[in-house]
Amino acid sequence: MYRQGDVLIVPVAEESVPSGITEARSEPRDARGRLVLALGEVTGHAHAVTGPGRLVRETGGEFGPMLLHLPEGGRVVHEEHAMIPLPKGWFRVVRQREYLPGAVRVVAD
Amino acid sequence: MQQVDKWRGVAAATGAADRPAAEAGIRLAYRTAGLAEPERIVWADSPLAGLTAVRSLTEQGRSVRDEVRTKPWAEERRRIHDELGPAGWAEWWGVTGARLWDTTRALAERIRSGITDAPTTDPAELPETRQLLLDAVLGQHDAAWLAAFDGRGERLAGLAEVAAHAGWWWPYEKVTVVCERPVELHRDEAGRLDRGDGPALAYPDGFALYAWRGMPVPADFLAELTTLDPARIRTEENAELRRVMLEYYGYDRYLAESGAEPIGKDETGILWRIALADDEDVVMVEVVNSTPEPDGTSRTYWLRVPPNTRTAKEGVAWTFGLDAQTYEPLRQT
Repeated sequence: MYRQGDVLIVPVAEESVPSGITEARSEPRDARGRLVLALGEVTGHAHAVTGPGRLVRETGGEFGPMLLHLPEGGRVVHEEHAMIPLPKGWFRVVRQREYLPGAVRVVAD
Repeated sequence: MQQVDKWRGVAAATGAADRPAAEAGIRLAYRTAGLAEPERIVWADSPLAGLTAVRSLTEQGRSVRDEVRTKPWAEERRRIHDELGPAGWAEWWGVTGARLWDTTRALAERIRSGITDAPTTDPAELPETRQLLLDAVLGQHDAAWLAAFDGRGERLAGLAEVAAHAGWWWPYEKVTVVCERPVELHRDEAGRLDRGDGPALAYPDGFALYAWRGMPVPADFLAELTTLDPARIRTEENAELRRVMLEYYGYDRYLAESGAEPIGKDETGILWRIALADDEDVVMVEVVNSTPEPDGTSRTYWLRVPPNTRTAKEGVAWTFGLDAQTYEPLRQT
């Protein structure tokens, strides 16, 4: 697994990828053609993947887990973090959260 | 999407309205709706003042919000929907309006509740106040919809022009009341209202909202933040306000000054516990950012984790929804 700031990228075995994912709609790429794993609302800084592949939101909600498929591998970039190369395969993308008494909120870095 | 950036900027714009441009937009919106231009345009310094101005009108005629905004809006939406098909429209909305929807809607909702909660608002008039608030055209806070419509037709050009140059407005047959934009707007990375040393949102007439990381706080509470000490924090009975105090004061400083002891340390960081009277313990992991800042230093930060957390690694793993055994990053930056 790989971590870039508040985003964790966990390899997923191909056989455990839910079957509905192949038909599911892919998340659109941003204006620079990247797959955006997490976007900072105010700074506009993004954890993003360049290169071929697709990103599918698994469950509803702004920060729900997403599945990332990179048939040829790729790289995760961010304005404030070092780039991380990823091997080819499937990944679950998890956004970091923080504990609040009675609630949980998403961390933004 | 370039229009998303443009309209994100519009939604967050502060500073004096461009009154001639906004008034030209209002007149265009009336003409596009097949109406005569308003006889008068009245400016107000905030949505609160705008509401007062609306109340004081006498010969304004009927509300023309439906003709000016709602109907053309709905028809443009239907037109684009038909042109793109249901899936195409959903995808288009996903890359345009949806990007701005949550934060802008939340901001407008906070302004509405700021008005209904204002000391000058008469409780007996609340139902009417709420109704009038729902009658407003939200100007810059309609940015999500306007982003989705941008570049797809001229019909909403008047509405877009007002939104780009002014705040909320109320269109009546003979009179339009239109508001200035905020002079201050401060939000955190997640888009929530957030400021520790003044109003997070303020209009030129002084109408203001105070918030810390989205949580509404009283103005005098913020003034007190600068003179906090650990004893004052410990005696604050409101758990939410105490959390704000802790965040503002700095967990690190609080830990140091209250003599808290680390309860564990491993390769992921340090686990701390602060016992609080009549409340669950605050348990935090202290972690160091893997990527150094431009000046070469590494930023330390604290994440609150559930009170039953036993090790720093268990805490960090929890922040990603994992248990300590499975959390094993190969590489982190």
